[in-house]
Amino acid sequence: MMDFLNLILDPLQEVFLKFKVFLPNLLAMLIILVLGIVLAKLVKAILVKSLIAINFDSWSDRMGFTTLMRKGDVWGKPSATLGAIIFWLMIILTLMIGLSALKIPAIDSLVTEVFNYIPRAFSAALILAIGYVLTGFVSQGILIAAVNSGYHYAKLIAEAIRTLLMVLILAMAMEQLQIAPSIVLAAFTIIFGGIVTALAISFGVGGIDAARRMIERESAGKSVEETKDDIDPL
Amino acid sequence: MSDFYQSGIITTLHQLGKPSLERIESELLGYVKTRPVALALPALYSEFEGPAMPGIVQELAKVKYLNEIVLVLDKASEKDFKRVREFMSPISTEVKIIHNDSKRINEIYETFARNGFNVGERGKGRSAWIAYGYILARARSDVIALHDCDIVTYSRELLARLCYPVVHPNLDYVFCKGYYSRVSSGLNGRVTRLLVTPLIKALEQLIGPHDFLAFLDSFRYPLSGEFCMITDLARVNRIPWDWGLEVGSLAEVHRNYSPRRVCQVDIAANYEHKHQILSADDASKGLMKMTVDICKSIFRTLASEGVVFSDGLFKSLLVSYLRQAEDTIIKYEADAAINGLKFDRHEEAMAVEAFTRAIAMATQVFMENPMTTPLIPNWNRVISAIPDIFEMLKMAVDEDNK
Repeated sequence: MMDFLNLILDPLQEVFLKFKVFLPNLLAMLIILVLGIVLAKLVKAILVKSLIAINFDSWSDRMGFTTLMRKGDVWGKPSATLGAIIFWLMIILTLMIGLSALKIPAIDSLVTEVFNYIPRAFSAALILAIGYVLTGFVSQGILIAAVNSGYHYAKLIAEAIRTLLMVLILAMAMEQLQIAPSIVLAAFTIIFGGIVTALAISFGVGGIDAARRMIERESAGKSVEETKDDIDPL
Repeated sequence: MSDFYQSGIITTLHQLGKPSLERIESELLGYVKTRPVALALPALYSEFEGPAMPGIVQELAKVKYLNEIVLVLDKASEKDFKRVREFMSPISTEVKIIHNDSKRINEIYETFARNGFNVGERGKGRSAWIAYGYILARARSDVIALHDCDIVTYSRELLARLCYPVVHPNLDYVFCKGYYSRVSSGLNGRVTRLLVTPLIKALEQLIGPHDFLAFLDSFRYPLSGEFCMITDLARVNRIPWDWGLEVGSLAEVHRNYSPRRVCQVDIAANYEHKHQILSADDASKGLMKMTVDICKSIFRTLASEGVVFSDGLFKSLLVSYLRQAEDTIIKYEADAAINGLKFDRHEEAMAVEAFTRAIAMATQVFMENPMTTPLIPNWNRVISAIPDIFEMLKMAVDEDNK
């Protein structure tokens, strides 16, 4: 009878002992989570107030970041949205630190992987942000230059270049995030290569006469200059 | 209207004989190919529950020449918005509804506020302004027509006649204001009859001939809410968001365009809409509030054109106005008598007394702060401060309408 009882009690005792060892870790995790949430809320509140104080929302409206948010159907204030993003990033971070406090090997490796991925995510976000601003500047510059040169399709050209640049930046960001890198690279090569080939063919076929005229004009100009040189000493 | 007299410095297009609506509409159908027309409708949800809006929708369903209709819906919940969409479905023209209480549109108003633009409080002025913005953002129309949504006697002839002078390629008008008689069993339109016209006459008497006063005096119904204009005007005009909307809009038209390119057109034999209470004891509502806002708008416009107002001038103005208004009452009494219309002379005199008090209030407010009349900035300025605002507005409205 005692043996039978031991059979039942031994595993329970073992579980209890394991739990006793595990309990401080669990408590540590809970404390980390609570502190993390409080800290995240505090940081969010300070960040949002600071952003409002420096007129971040108005700056975002002018720089086009608000439009970017609206395109994604996000209709909050830019400062509040940034605050929410930082808050949730801190919550994820807290969760990771909290989970690592449990000292479970499987979770530890997951946490390590996540922490290793953070620099990549950060640089991808940076590429996207800088790329978006640069794309705006470049396409605006091309639009102004094309309009001043009297091109009929100035807006179309500027929009096409904006789209191409955005594709390039998106590919760069995805490559950074290591999301199906081989597929992204292949797709990007095909799309960009295709566009360049199409442009080359269309210009090559359609621009033969224009190129000929340009070359002829150039050579005619040179011969006139040569003639001038001959006469000059006289 | 049977006479053909051209009064004032703008062109008056009368209704002579019985012009065929079919002819006007078929001509418009041809003209709109090169000058597409958008119709802006500032509406309250309550107007859909009353008798006016069902009639308007029924008539608009027969109109073929409109390019787009932009309805600005105010004081409506999400459920009301859906009901209004359903309500507008018989109209074959593309209808976009700007739901002023939606999360997205509220965020658009927030964007204006945080960039230093005071677009005012809810009302027809702000609704009309946001409708112009959306029409400009879409860039699909060259002409904007606007009319109120409380017209009980609405007929599509009103819209056709309103659009015709601006849409017609050979007439070259940039702005056209509607006019009509306000007659039921008696004479309506008290604010125009007993305030605006006598006030203009009194001001002319005191400060002498003035371009703006002559311009304002040329309109047979300066407070009518129906007008049609080219979209460029919607881009450069600043409009008041209070009751000074009509007079303030005319001031902006006068400022930006020659009177030769402005006209008024007889759009209806009769016109009936929601009546405002006089509210003689409370200047914060009803016709009294309207009067104060209109007077402030006129004073500000005149001051901006170099007229110097003083206490003495304002005191004389009150007396001069009273005399002009009393003379006007006598004229309208005779007019009502010959036409067999009811005319309560005592009530008219009471209204004039109330208007005199309102003018006194307006002069006081103006002397304390001449900049109080609120004007919503024009769209050109808004775009220069928030370059993507058109795109945002378009996205907000399109998402709401999905």
